[in-house]
Amino acid sequence: MPRESSSLADLLADARVWKLKDASASHRLSSSRPVWSTGQRALDARLPGGGWPTASLVEVLIDVHGLGEVQLFLPALVESQRCTDGDIPWLVWIAPPHEPYAPALAQQGIELARLLVVRPASATEALWAAEQALRSGVCAAVLLWLKGTDDRWLRRLKLAAEEGGALGVLFRPERHRFESSPASLRLLMTQGEQQARLELLKVQGGRPGLVDLGAP
Amino acid sequence: MAQTGTQTADLFAAPAPVLAPAPVLAPTPMLAPTPVPPPALPAAPVCVLPSPQRRRSLWYAVVFAGAPDLYQLSLHAQQFTSFVSLAAPNALLLEIQGSLRLFGTCVRLRELLDARWQALGVAAQSAIAPSTLAALWCARVGEDLCSDDKTTLTGRLLEIPLIGTAWDAARLQTLRSMGIRRLGDLLRLPRAGLARRLGPAAVRDLDIALGRQPEPRRAFVPRERFRERLDFETEIEHLAYLERALEPVLERCARFLRRRQAGVQSLSLRLRHRACPATELRLGFASVTSEPRRLAEVLAQRLSRLELPAAVRAMQLVSGPLQPLSAVSLDAFGGGGRDTAVQLIERLRARLGEQAVYGLTTQTEHRPEAAWCRVQQLSLAALSARGGVPPLEAMPRPVWLLAEPVLLSQREVHELGLASGASPRDPERIETGWWDGKGVARDYYRIRPARGAELWVFQERQTKSWYLHGMFA
Repeated sequence: MPRESSSLADLLADARVWKLKDASASHRLSSSRPVWSTGQRALDARLPGGGWPTASLVEVLIDVHGLGEVQLFLPALVESQRCTDGDIPWLVWIAPPHEPYAPALAQQGIELARLLVVRPASATEALWAAEQALRSGVCAAVLLWLKGTDDRWLRRLKLAAEEGGALGVLFRPERHRFESSPASLRLLMTQGEQQARLELLKVQGGRPGLVDLGAP
Repeated sequence: MAQTGTQTADLFAAPAPVLAPAPVLAPTPMLAPTPVPPPALPAAPVCVLPSPQRRRSLWYAVVFAGAPDLYQLSLHAQQFTSFVSLAAPNALLLEIQGSLRLFGTCVRLRELLDARWQALGVAAQSAIAPSTLAALWCARVGEDLCSDDKTTLTGRLLEIPLIGTAWDAARLQTLRSMGIRRLGDLLRLPRAGLARRLGPAAVRDLDIALGRQPEPRRAFVPRERFRERLDFETEIEHLAYLERALEPVLERCARFLRRRQAGVQSLSLRLRHRACPATELRLGFASVTSEPRRLAEVLAQRLSRLELPAAVRAMQLVSGPLQPLSAVSLDAFGGGGRDTAVQLIERLRARLGEQAVYGLTTQTEHRPEAAWCRVQQLSLAALSARGGVPPLEAMPRPVWLLAEPVLLSQREVHELGLASGASPRDPERIETGWWDGKGVARDYYRIRPARGAELWVFQERQTKSWYLHGMFA
């Protein structure tokens, strides 16, 4: 991950650095640092850098599976595998709620030979596996589905993601909404009238609030 | 091959000046096509190429009395040459041309080898000849042949009794009934007739013995394993102590592997207890390795899952079969903190189990449930990014597929707006698999209910009932 150079622009572009600036302004500034588009223009505009940050933990609070939550990350996953010079990085899906359907993923452009599905027996093992994968440095993104976890483990995941330069995505139920979380981005997805309702609960370097997923 | 007889009437007439015997049987016209010799090809294209200069080889054959332990004897033989080949049940063949520079003449080398068998206390007969079978046949009948001269080879073989060929009894009986007892008698016969009567294998053997055709032989490779047993003075009850005790053993194992430029893909650890049966642990690695760090790490993960039934009295570490290390399996940068994918996968597998970590792949199949499968054998070779757009199928597929289609109740069908008359448009019809008894005839729809997730449902075309099969996430 490009953390070798330490110019001011790079530092500012890091999602972990808080900026008293408008999110849209920082968006233009940070073309050097890789961010992965969410595929939703409305959401991209609201995120610092204009996409999912690398080397950080993103938390998605969701109760019903199938609201398009994976779709938010698929373009980023594809991009992360495509935009490399060397070996294609791995994607790890830990404890997905259903069987990830290989033809759909291939259709989206994911390199299936670099996709790993992990089915741990318990939540602790799932967290352990996620930490190992994030820290390893060979994974571009780790997606983790959990029922519940504690704050300490999340902190470990965040550190592992920063160390390994990977994007960690944690899906967990909405009831954890009011717990504190070290994730740099927290999203809440609920069922809306016409389509899913997406709310940014916490954005480091951005403005929380409702996102209007009008036109993709 | 270029030298093998291309004319059917070309007998085994020796090029040697010794005893060129006249054929007893007149060359019979070929009645049936015989597989050997090869059909007379137009010679021109073969002759255009200069015949490849084969490396000369010289063979030392030794036949042991009784039922020798060929494995042990081969290990001894390997001190004299790098190429030892087993000739079951009781003989060895050594290629010694390459060893002559070191040991001097072949006579001297033969003395050394024979002295070694004597020192080991096994009765042995040996011979040296420029072809494998000639040496072997001579050794078997006790013919004292020690020559690297190919030109006189045929002459030396003429007096060998046929019993030395160790052909099967039926063939030898046939020959005996024809009044043929020595190789010389046999070589006098026409080739085509021989091939017909004895089979092509016999003719091939003769060609090999006379040095007209090389014989590919499999080299003896010692099967080696790392094996070490530790008996503890006091019984070990805690895994942490066990791990500490294993550290030096693993270190020695890694050194053992390094010295042989080999790696292993599995290790097995056997823990012995006083009363209950021994605990067996089998460790698998994602790739061939000799890296002590990886060995220790996988072992530690495996031990962390283990519950000791009783205190451990002794343990034994045995490696799997040794495999050559390829350049890929060597860690060029010495690890240096960062993991490789291989390490990550085997660490996950060591703790979560082999089955819990897998890959996915697609299969060319129209039935959605059969269009994918799990992959346990992950490809770990380097893969570079592919450019271009992914192949888009006509119809989108859901990210989640249910393990089994779920039958929707009447009420659910109504709520989803699938009731007759109001059914959605543009179905994807999948009708296939009638040949293997699991035929499907379905109309798939992608629907988005008023509230909630986007679904992938289908209607069974015969029963008209609706099923939920997947979710677009």
